Parts: sequence; structure tokens; C-alpha cells
Amino acid sequence: MNLKKISPLAWILFLSILTLLGAFLSIGIGAVFIDPAVILHYFTGGNVENSGFIIGNFRLPRIVMCLLVGTGLGISGAILQGVVRNPLASPDVIGITKGAGLSAAAVIILFPELPVIGLPIAAFFGAGLVTVGLYLFAFRKGVQPATLALVGIALGAICQAGIQFLTIKFPIETNAALVWLTGSVWGKDWGDVWLLAPWILIVTPITFALAPKLDVLSLGDDVAEGLGEPVQKARLLLLIIAVLLAGSSVAIVGTLGFVGLIAPHIARQLVGNRHAYLLPASALVGILLLLLADDLGRGLFPPTEVPAGIFTAIIGAPYFLFLLRKLQKS
Amino acid sequence: MNQLSNQPPFYKYKLFIGLLGGAFLLVVSIVASLSIGAYAIPFTEVLSLLFNPDHSKEASIIHTIRLPRALVGVVVGACLAMAGGIMQAITNNPLASPQIFGVNAGASLMVVIGVVLLPGLGSDILIYFAFLGAAAGGGIVYYLASTGGGMTPVKLALAGITVHLFLSSLIQGIVLFHETSTEDVLFWLAGGIDGRNWSDFSLLLPWALAGFLGALLLGKSLTILGLGDEVAQGLGQSIGWIRGSSALVVILLAGISVAVAGPIGFIGLIIPNIVRKIIGSDYRVILPVAGLFGAVLLTISDVLSRFIAFPGESPVGIVTALIGAPFFLYLASKGGRKG
Repeated sequence: MNLKKISPLAWILFLSILTLLGAFLSIGIGAVFIDPAVILHYFTGGNVENSGFIIGNFRLPRIVMCLLVGTGLGISGAILQGVVRNPLASPDVIGITKGAGLSAAAVIILFPELPVIGLPIAAFFGAGLVTVGLYLFAFRKGVQPATLALVGIALGAICQAGIQFLTIKFPIETNAALVWLTGSVWGKDWGDVWLLAPWILIVTPITFALAPKLDVLSLGDDVAEGLGEPVQKARLLLLIIAVLLAGSSVAIVGTLGFVGLIAPHIARQLVGNRHAYLLPASALVGILLLLLADDLGRGLFPPTEVPAGIFTAIIGAPYFLFLLRKLQKS
Repeated sequence: MNQLSNQPPFYKYKLFIGLLGGAFLLVVSIVASLSIGAYAIPFTEVLSLLFNPDHSKEASIIHTIRLPRALVGVVVGACLAMAGGIMQAITNNPLASPQIFGVNAGASLMVVIGVVLLPGLGSDILIYFAFLGAAAGGGIVYYLASTGGGMTPVKLALAGITVHLFLSSLIQGIVLFHETSTEDVLFWLAGGIDGRNWSDFSLLLPWALAGFLGALLLGKSLTILGLGDEVAQGLGQSIGWIRGSSALVVILLAGISVAVAGPIGFIGLIIPNIVRKIIGSDYRVILPVAGLFGAVLLTISDVLSRFIAFPGESPVGIVTALIGAPFFLYLASKGGRKG
């Protein structure tokens, strides 16, 4: 791979530019197409009439949401893959998003009169609850990565059964819940952005500071202990951080899948295994994936909106299979 | 080989006890299934009406609604448990089952595609869709899980769940865009046998019997395979041939189950594990006994499912998931400690 010859920092710089450009162009895509020149005019303080209203109230908060959620899911996936030491780990797979999904479905279906703020709080609570269960069931004189993964899958299956029970017992409210369960940034406004932003903006810098711990953990428990790292404590701390990022993201946009799984893989191909580079690169790739998925969802069949979660699966899964094939060959 | 042929009395004794116990439970649960429901019919009346039908309302409920449903449940339960048993034998992995292996999700996706995008297809054609999907889903997971060395329980579970999530989001996408059929498809996707009639049963039976026969023929080879690939080869078994024909039988058993009853989870996971724990590793015994107890579990779950939203019907897949997921949790925390 001559991709690796380019320095990781150069890749991160390139991805950042690509992200900015992608975010800028995405503003124009949708039921009403807006010319990039008009968008530029808007940002330089010019008066663009109707387009300005669309940009300021609909498109911009949605794009900012993609930036936040892409960061949260991308980094969360990279951390989980480091902690579980398996390239298949991700917030979706180990049950965290399913826990959020179950409590969100319960709120949407059983308490439709609850104020809007109740939904993200419940979803976040659900993600947290699954994580507590994950830790308790997997704990035997410390937590082994393999047990963590398997117990997560089992808890995910229990939550899935609960979701199925709710959607079938209350068929009338099901469609609203289904849209949420697929994951979408549709209709997100500045209020949602302000709800999510503090979590992502505070936790992300902390993860960068913890990058060396992840490097040490990925060497295996014995080596890490030999290097003086308190393995169990580090694992618990990193797990909590991963859940904070994924749980808060999912709480706002729904159970958007595959970003947390794919983004770290693509990032690893570009910048290698050092977490100091891998974490920011995963965040950027996560954002790009989400922007692309949402652009397709908005732009492909306007004015119909396809939930971004469907496109992250359609783009993500085949690419993932391709990656695994390549890993097997090398 | 010696090990096997030296113990014929013991093996036959276990098989006999297992089949007798299973048959007794099965009869009890079938009678319960015929008796319990929105319209309750007493046990004694069930037995007399079953063999001497008159023209009463009760007799027609039993013969046209409850009996075909119960029999579909019996056959599907047996199919799923045997499919799970074979999978666990060829992968030497306790977590292997139609659901974890992506076989159920693959078959479901193809059936949903058939139902939603090509309306008017008969259910006899949909069976082939299910077989195709079962083969594709299982093939992908098998391929992914065996990358880079052996197939550990963790790798299999992670690969399976990833493929499962991918296929389910495709299904969800299709469902979201065809709102008219959402409710029906969702109900079907949870896995259920209510409303199945005699024509469903006659569609199911020939394929299932072929699958049962295949499973019984494979029993001996699978037991030898359990001694390790090298030993099996030394004893003159062709590993490739066993794996290939096992895959075919699994696709047959799991595919036909999904086609008729939807993706019912966890039966293929739980039953073979319990049976193996109790009666050892001889697949000539495990497969028939697992089939019988799979039938029992699905029939009992179906009876329980009638109470979820009584007097309305709920998919039996919810009950099997609620029973099965904690069992999976138990297996998971055990398997992880080993790995």
C-alpha cells in the first residue's frame, strides 16, 4: 500500500479539507438546490433572501449535526475496536445503540405526549443501562474483551426482542418509531445541535489525551500490565467514554448504524494504528460518511427524504466486506 | 470408529429415553396448543373431537385452525433445532445457529423483497427465494468468521451480528418505503405461526422431511468430525464432502422454516446446546432428540405467545427471543471465559 507512504498528519489535513468542502457543498443539496455561489454569498454576510432562510434554519443545523454525530460515532467505534481488540466491534454490534433504541421506542410508543426533550434523555439512559448490564454480566475478576463482545451481542438481542414486542403490540405508533430506529438527521434544528454539542465537544479532547492508553491496551493485557498500565481501570474508563459519545449521538439522531464500524477501518487504512492519529481520522471519516449518506438521502429522490441510516448501511456494509477480504489476503 | 461401535447398547438406550421423553412432552404441549386460545376448549373435549370430529364449532376450530397451526409449529421447531445442531457440529462452536449465522436474516430479506417488490408471487415460489437468501447469508458469515485462522465463538458472533444488522437495515429500508404493508411485514418478521393452514403445512412437509432424512444420515459423520478433522480424515471421512452436504441440509431446514414461519430465533441455539450437555456428543442421538425438543419448545412458546396480547395474537418469535436471549447471555459469559 503506497497510501501508507503519505504521512498521517498529511492525511488528517487532507481529510479536514475534504470535510469542510463536503459540508459546504452539502448545504446546497436537497429539495431546493442552492448554488455554491449563493452559499458563499450567505456566509460572507450577503442577503440571499429565501435561500438564506433555508440555509439558516434547515440545512445548516443539519450539516452541523452530521459533524457532531460523525465525530461521536467514529471515535466511539475506534475506541471500542481498541478496547475489545476486534475489528468487528462497534456501538451497534455490542448492544449500546439497541439499548438506546429500546427505550426510545418505549417513549415514542407508550408516552407520545412526553415533551420532545424526553426522547433523547430516555435514549441516553437506555444506552447507559445496557452498558452497566454489559459490565456486570461480563465481569469476572476483571473484564475480558471476548466476553464483553459476546455479552453485548446477547444484550442487544434482548433489546431487539423488546423493540419487536412494542412495535407489534402498538402497530399504530410504529412508523414514527421505525423512522427513529433507522436513524436520520432529518428535521434537526439548532435546539438539537445545542443539546448534543457540549457532549461531543467536551468528551472528544479527552479521548485524544487517552490515545496512548489505547495504544498500550492494543498490545494485549499481559504486555500492557508489564508496561505498568492498570488494564481493568483503563478499560472501564475507555468504555464509559465510548458510551458517552455513541449514546449522546444516537439519542439525538436515532440508531444510525455502521458509521462507528466503518469509519475506524477506513481511517486505519490511511493513518495506521497509532491512536493519536487514528481517533481524529476516524472522526473525520465518520463525518464524511454521514454527510455522503445524508446527501444521498436528500438528493436522490427529492422531495422524498430517505433516512441516512439506510445509506450508511448500503455504503458501509459492502465496503466492510471488501475490507475484511483484503485483511485476510495480507 | 471403534469408540462408536463398541457402545451400541448405550447409544440406543440414550436415544430411546430421549425420544420417549420428548414424545411425551410433545403430545402434552400439542394438546395444550389445541385447547388454549381466545376460545378455550377443555382438554377432554379436545381429545374426543380430535379423533371423532362432529359438526360442532369446537371441532371445526380444532381441525381447520388449531391443528394445522400446531403441526406447522412442530415441524418448524424440529427443523430449526436440527439446523442449529448441524451448524454447531461442523463449526465446533456452541453459538452457531440459523440466527447468529445470518441464515434467518438472509432468507427474510429475500422473502421481503419477493413479497414487497414482486407482489402476486405464490408462496411456493417464495420458498426458493428463502433458500437463496439462506445460502447467501450463511455463506457470507461463514466466510467472514473463518478469516485469519480458526473460527472462535467471538469472531463468529461478531461477523454474524454484523451481517444480520446489515441485512435488517436493508429490510427496514424496504419496509419504510412500502407503508401499506408495514404492519403485516413487521409481524411476519418477528416470526410466527398463527394463521398457518393446511396448505402451508403441505408446502412445508416434503422439504422438511427431506431435511430430516439428510440430518439423520449425517449424524454419524458429524460425530466423527467432532473428534477433530485429522482423526476424521484418518478414519476415511471426506471433510469437504461432510461440510458441503451439511451446508445443503442446513439451508434446506432453515430456509423452509423462514419461508413458512418467518425468522424465529434462538430455538436452533438453545436446544442443541442443552441436548448435547445432557446426552453427550453423539450426533446420531443429538439430532433426532434435538428435533423433538425443538418441536416441544416452539409449541410451548406458541401457547405462551397467545397470552401476550390476549385475546389478540402475538408472534411466537418474541417469546422464543425472551426465553433464548438470557440463555445466549449465559453461553456468552461462559464462552468468553474460555477464549
